[in-house]
Amino acid sequence: MPDPTVILAVDHLVKSFRIHHQKSNSLKQLIAGRGRNRYDDFLAVDDVTFDVHEGEVFGIIGQNGSGKSTLLKCMAGILQPNAGSVRVTRRMGALLELGAGFHPELSGRENVYLNAAILGMGRKEIALRFDEIVDFSGLHAFIDQPAKTYSSGMYVRLAFAVAINVDPQLLIVDEILAVGDVSFQRRCLEKFVEFRNEGRTIVLVTHDLGSVKSLCDRAIWLERGKAIDEGDPSDLVEAYTERMLGAEAPAADGSVRRGSGEIRITKVEMFVNGSAFAVKRCRTNDDVLLRLYYQAEKTMPQPVVGIEIQSLGGATVTAPNTRDVGMVPPTMWGSGAIDVSLSNVALLPGTYDIHTTVTDFNRALIYDHLREALRFDVMTGKPYETDGVVTMRPEWKLS
Amino acid sequence: MAHRNLLYLLSLKELRTRYKKSVLGWAWSLFNPLSQMLIFTVIFTYVFVAKPLAGDPSGLKNFPLYFLSGLLPWNFFSITTSVAMSNVQGGAGLIKKVAFPHEHLVFSVVAAQFVTLLIETAILVIALFVAGQNALPWLPVVLPLYALWALFTAGIALALSAFNVFFHDVQYLWTILSQMLFYVTPVIYFTDALPDVFVGRVLNNVANYGPTGSYIVAFHNLFYDGRWPTGWLLLQLAAMAVGIFALGMWIFGRLSPRFAEEM
Ligand SMILES: Nc1ncnc2c1ncn2[C@@H]1O[C@H](COP(=O)(O)OP(=O)(O)OP(=O)(O)O)[C@@H](O)[C@H]1O
Ligand SMILES: [Mg+2]
Repeated sequence: MPDPTVILAVDHLVKSFRIHHQKSNSLKQLIAGRGRNRYDDFLAVDDVTFDVHEGEVFGIIGQNGSGKSTLLKCMAGILQPNAGSVRVTRRMGALLELGAGFHPELSGRENVYLNAAILGMGRKEIALRFDEIVDFSGLHAFIDQPAKTYSSGMYVRLAFAVAINVDPQLLIVDEILAVGDVSFQRRCLEKFVEFRNEGRTIVLVTHDLGSVKSLCDRAIWLERGKAIDEGDPSDLVEAYTERMLGAEAPAADGSVRRGSGEIRITKVEMFVNGSAFAVKRCRTNDDVLLRLYYQAEKTMPQPVVGIEIQSLGGATVTAPNTRDVGMVPPTMWGSGAIDVSLSNVALLPGTYDIHTTVTDFNRALIYDHLREALRFDVMTGKPYETDGVVTMRPEWKLS
Repeated sequence: MAHRNLLYLLSLKELRTRYKKSVLGWAWSLFNPLSQMLIFTVIFTYVFVAKPLAGDPSGLKNFPLYFLSGLLPWNFFSITTSVAMSNVQGGAGLIKKVAFPHEHLVFSVVAAQFVTLLIETAILVIALFVAGQNALPWLPVVLPLYALWALFTAGIALALSAFNVFFHDVQYLWTILSQMLFYVTPVIYFTDALPDVFVGRVLNNVANYGPTGSYIVAFHNLFYDGRWPTGWLLLQLAAMAVGIFALGMWIFGRLSPRFAEEM
């Protein structure tokens, strides 16, 4: 008996492509090579299984070429899987990889009708929603221009507008946040949230890990076609970024370091309210001093030092760096310490991690990134609030 | 049929985009067969110095009308097959992005070309009338026969455009093949006037009984001769249309799931 809340079930899905040795789509090749054994099978999706439940936002992450788009195309029925199955029980709208199924010679208007027809809508139904679609896309002035004159962002806007206005119960989206401008991205995100609140289901492929963390309820991680992990998006994104950026093995205290290593933060200590003893706990509203010990093997010009305080839940509470306040030293070498003082800490009770980063001035080269350099607890102080991670020191007034 | 609306829109697109950036627009679709007719008439009247055979029983003796009544259906066939191939190829943007029945890319071309054929036929009927031959009584047979011809054409177009996705040579090969097919189809000659030598006899058989030839013979019967095609011929044409269409659908159905990854 299948679980009725599962509205998308991917079951041992396998998709392979034929990689022709000299791809030339020609009869000569067919005749000369007799067509056979002239290709290898390349497994783009390798035995992937997962379920998506009603009302979930489900993320798929993985590096370029890991098979995400292929997987979505199998779900959308564009590619035929070699083995396994995809079961979809609701009306599905799909928006795949940059742009949509548009005919370049047709106008935006004609393409809207064509796409809606492909998605199974009748002419009357489309006419009713046409204005809404154009409104959402914001392309009023261009709607009667041929689609070939559209920019790639405009393509995506129109495609997205169509896809969400055909009333899908399940929306699958591949990488659309990448080309839209900021206002459109925000509108997409709002739409996703709205969809989620309405209890609709979204499957999202994106390299924007921030939105995976904030939007998704669950995620899966693909690597070379295999689903190597599935679960909480924050954990997954964490593990994924670390893998992608080539982290070293965790040290004994659980900290993880990466970076080119010209400068290293060797240790972080915490002092509270002027005390000379390093501690690992404080209270809300204490004055805290963080001391970052560094060691520079070479003289490095204009290094930028930053810290990040993160709650156990994965939220970054604050992440100041020396460049933002104009305190970048011209060079740095040898060893020493940098102090950061934080007065009247607004953190609420809980456990927090401090990560440190040293980069070049453009923050492109990472000399050192130390995760979990220090883990500390915040105890109840003043003010006290049950929920949240920071206090804004609210003053309530009843009137 | 699911996606009927899609087929309608795609056909409309075919009709609309064809002559989009041209001043004379639709008139071009008429100039094409008319100019061909003119060329053939000049060549056969003045270069090869031949005389048209009389239509039996219509008694019509007229090269241009004979040519037109075969050219219109022939052009429908040759244009539809080649445009269908490029339409499927050109539909890559759609095929790779959305799931839909790919055969509609072929059907829409067939439908659009069929509309053109009907308009051209209307003009042919008027021309015949001016020449003293009333073709109206034959239309109830012409139209179903046109439908069979369209079915036959669709079958060939489906198979060709499916193969063409995998091997682009198909479209070049087809340009040559359809040209050869044109000459073994009695569009620009009378089979009765073929010389009684070996090659003439072979050509006579192919032209009269070959797949495309037998259709054109039937259209000549109806338009030029003004008589019923034989019952056997009609039966053969119907069987061929259904058979070729089924074969085309089968081939297309087998290959189309792999279009998206091959394009
Ligand atoms: N039509 C095709 N023919 C052959 N190989 C293909 C085809 N489509 C995709 N592939 C291969 O399948 C693999 C997975 O591709 P896919 O597009 O699914 O990756 P992705 O995870 O979406 O990557 P990205 O993050 O860059 O979008 C790649 O190695 C790609 O080369
Ligand atoms: Mg992709």
